[in-house]
Amino acid sequence: MREPKTIISIAIILVILLHAAPLLYRAERKTMWPFLDWAMYKDSRPAGPIRAYKKHITGITARGQRESVTTDLTGVSITSFNMLYLQPMWTRDSSAARQLFDRLNRVREDPFVELRLESETYTVTDSGVVREDNPVITYRADAAAPQ
Amino acid sequence: MKRWIERWNAYWFPETTTRELCLSRIVVVAAQLLLFPPVLEKHINYLTKNSEFIDPQVIISAIAAVFPRETVFTPSVFTTLYWVTFVAGLLTLVGLFTRPSAFVFALCNWIFVAHEYSYGDRHHGEALFCILLMCYAFSPSGDSYSIDALLRRWRSRRAGVPVEGPRRTDTAMWPLKFVHVLLAMTYFSTGASKLIAGGPSWMNGYTLQLYTFNDALNRGMPFGIWLAQQHALAIALSIFTILFETFFFVSVLLPWTAPLFFIVGIFFHLSLYMAGGHDFFQHIVLLFVLLLFLAPAWWRAWLNKYLAILSARWRRQEQAQQPV
Repeated sequence: MREPKTIISIAIILVILLHAAPLLYRAERKTMWPFLDWAMYKDSRPAGPIRAYKKHITGITARGQRESVTTDLTGVSITSFNMLYLQPMWTRDSSAARQLFDRLNRVREDPFVELRLESETYTVTDSGVVREDNPVITYRADAAAPQ
Repeated sequence: MKRWIERWNAYWFPETTTRELCLSRIVVVAAQLLLFPPVLEKHINYLTKNSEFIDPQVIISAIAAVFPRETVFTPSVFTTLYWVTFVAGLLTLVGLFTRPSAFVFALCNWIFVAHEYSYGDRHHGEALFCILLMCYAFSPSGDSYSIDALLRRWRSRRAGVPVEGPRRTDTAMWPLKFVHVLLAMTYFSTGASKLIAGGPSWMNGYTLQLYTFNDALNRGMPFGIWLAQQHALAIALSIFTILFETFFFVSVLLPWTAPLFFIVGIFFHLSLYMAGGHDFFQHIVLLFVLLLFLAPAWWRAWLNKYLAILSARWRRQEQAQQPV
């Protein structure tokens, strides 16, 4: 049997090399936990206004109940929620809204009939942070396009 | 070649006692049990609301390749797994059947994290911490400060064999050195990727302000919202971030600098949390463990000096109080 130090050394080298895999193979980049690429927040931003957005989806059911549409309700992670639903719906992609309706209403007795995407823009100015409410984007379960 | 092997062995396998490794086991496992346990409700929510994975992790794909999803990836199986994890963690903490318990504990945690990240999300905080948990299973992590050690001593006494002092071995330090090297690699990777992808303009202040503002606003971090309004401070902190991440590997090459990097790293991650809600708490624990146990000479020397000063002061006070 190989000496323990040899086996440990091989394992150390293997684990270090496995960290290179997400860098070399794009397809595997997302699925090789705990061997990850560590390129978070790598992109720079040019000089310009410091602006951020808060977005939120509220659902209205057939019985008139209002409910916040959260990651808990949808059963997806925050990243997937933003990527699959929030961001596309903000750009008026009605297919994303339809998919969200389908997902939310799968096992609901009181289905959602309307989804309202509310958002605010926050901008850093010399006198502080300025908030602006953006127009609400409304999606109806039976309508083709957002309102 | 022989010289390289000797240098490799001298770095990874110095002969030491197992005390530091075993103490680190207690701290790390306690942290995982108390601060970072899997959130069962979240997993059950994912299981009940998703009929399939989104970009499943390799570990989950491997399990799903052998066992059908509907038999293994169910709330009842995951509830059982949760309790197995908890019991294995307790056994590892107290050091009973330490290595098998550590393996089960680490593996269960790996499955939970991989499962959480099989629905389109993926974060970095747990990765190195979980690798260290697995390393305990393949090192003498139960040799000291454990029920296993107590039982060994009891059996020796019963057999009339003289009880040994603390065992010295050359496989006690590699887990801590390994996580130190991995930290250095990952910090360098994140620093270098900023410089490669973003260039020097990553340090223009606007980059950090924008990232911080977006994260702080959406996560409700008032310090981050304030920081996003301080352009000059953002430039300084950007430069500091690049320097810290890119040069952390120096702590591996020049061990005497390591305590400084670990302390700075702890504050770095604390301020990342306060600014943007980035919860790298596992990294804070890792840096703290390395600070205490990787090269304890620096704080032992300081502590001995402090105790010697205190002891001398008490003796002087006693002498002053004695009747002439």
